Amino acid sequence: MIIAIIIAAVVFLIIIGLYNLLVRKKNDAENAFATIDVMLKKRYDLIPNLVTTVKEYMKHEHSTLSEITDMRSKAVQGGLSEDERVALDNKISKHMAGIMVAVENYPDLKANQNFLQLQAAWNEVEEQISAARRTFNAAITSFNNAVETFPSNIMANIIGYKRKQLFEIPEVEKQNINAQDLFNS
Amino acid sequence: MEETHSFRQYYEKNLLPDLKVLDRERKKVDRWVTIIGLSAVLAIFMESRFINLETKEVMMFIQLGTAIIAIIFISLAGKEYRKKFKEKIISRIVLFVDESLVYKHDGKVPRSEFTGSNIFQHRCDVYHGEDYVQGKIGKTQIEFSEIKAQYRQTTGSGSKTNTRYVTFFKGIFFIADFNKHFTARTIVLPDFSEKTFGKIGQKLQSLNFTRGKLIKLENPEFEKEFVVYGDDQVEARYILTPSLMERILNFKKKWNSKVYLSFHNSKVYIAIWLNKNLFETRLFKSIVDYTFIEKNVQYLLLLTGIVNDLNLNTRIWSKK
Repeated sequence: MIIAIIIAAVVFLIIIGLYNLLVRKKNDAENAFATIDVMLKKRYDLIPNLVTTVKEYMKHEHSTLSEITDMRSKAVQGGLSEDERVALDNKISKHMAGIMVAVENYPDLKANQNFLQLQAAWNEVEEQISAARRTFNAAITSFNNAVETFPSNIMANIIGYKRKQLFEIPEVEKQNINAQDLFNS
Repeated sequence: MEETHSFRQYYEKNLLPDLKVLDRERKKVDRWVTIIGLSAVLAIFMESRFINLETKEVMMFIQLGTAIIAIIFISLAGKEYRKKFKEKIISRIVLFVDESLVYKHDGKVPRSEFTGSNIFQHRCDVYHGEDYVQGKIGKTQIEFSEIKAQYRQTTGSGSKTNTRYVTFFKGIFFIADFNKHFTARTIVLPDFSEKTFGKIGQKLQSLNFTRGKLIKLENPEFEKEFVVYGDDQVEARYILTPSLMERILNFKKKWNSKVYLSFHNSKVYIAIWLNKNLFETRLFKSIVDYTFIEKNVQYLLLLTGIVNDLNLNTRIWSKK
């Protein structure tokens, strides 16, 4: 009798442990996604200033710049699905990377103190976004491992947790590093 | 290397005259050391031969005392010579490497910085250091010195209490201004448990409560060599970018020694284990020797090269 009670108690504790483990990992992942959001917001805040400063000097990129402004206001307004937001954000990254490379053609702009400061802030935000994405991926990997490996997968099945998608680190981001090196004078 | 080529000229022009003078002093010290050493051996022999004592312990005590006195005399005889070598030769080699650098042979990285880095969790009871260098490489402020740190260990109790000092770090302690702003603490330690115990080792690491959160990074080679703890998951990754991880790996390979890093207060603290005492002179062999002197330049270049190894002069972020 006593043995049965002990076994039941142990099983019960294991169940609680597995359940809490999964919930904790899910919350970690959600929290990590929220961090990306915070960083993206920081970047959106930088865009208007950057565009205004750059516009004065750049002659051939006006259409790209107004496109960026449009996309930014769309992103800030909200009401987009997660996928749409990611796609829009990738587009902004790509356009901005193009602008940052084009800066090379404008020596006056490169000497502008205000621009240099904004550029530094931009680089920083980019790096933080990348860090946040990597944190998110680490949290998701940990969650996915818990969902798919024994014995926590049994519990995951019961409470209906499913594998989550990793954040694809966009190609642009990897190229950014090269572009950044160009500025480094 | 370009630096070593121009060092040959620098050596001949600026160091050679002083080295020749110092070498004469070395010969004098050699003579003294030989005399002291021989007389100590003779004294110990005579003691055992002509003093008749009942107990062996007292005899051994006397002999040990003689040996200790001899060692003290030997180190005193060489003291002035060692100091001169550092002041005249090493300090100028430091200037050759970079004119902005300041060298203090008896200086050391402040104890508060060493303990504040939180790399080692032992209580620091003994803290020795020498060969302190400070200055600016490009845009990056650096300082480093040799450090030896020990903690006291007492075993047993009552009359059988045994106290000994255990060295938990010996080597170079290096501090540099990091090129990004951050506030949280991130610590990179050589990985012992994961290397030895694999997956289970990783589980053990995450149970290390005194160190903060375990941070798993995506570079498998880096994960194999190091274990990372930090207060903030995102900030740790903000500091440890994929490219910095590669750089740290290469840096570790270059030194081929245990390397510890700590990132805190926008600074990077690096501890490199070395069993060698750097920037020292020698006895019983001429110091008018280019390869002997050049080695010191190479050590210094290796140390100041940390700035480039970790790409600290790249200032594209808001920290200038």
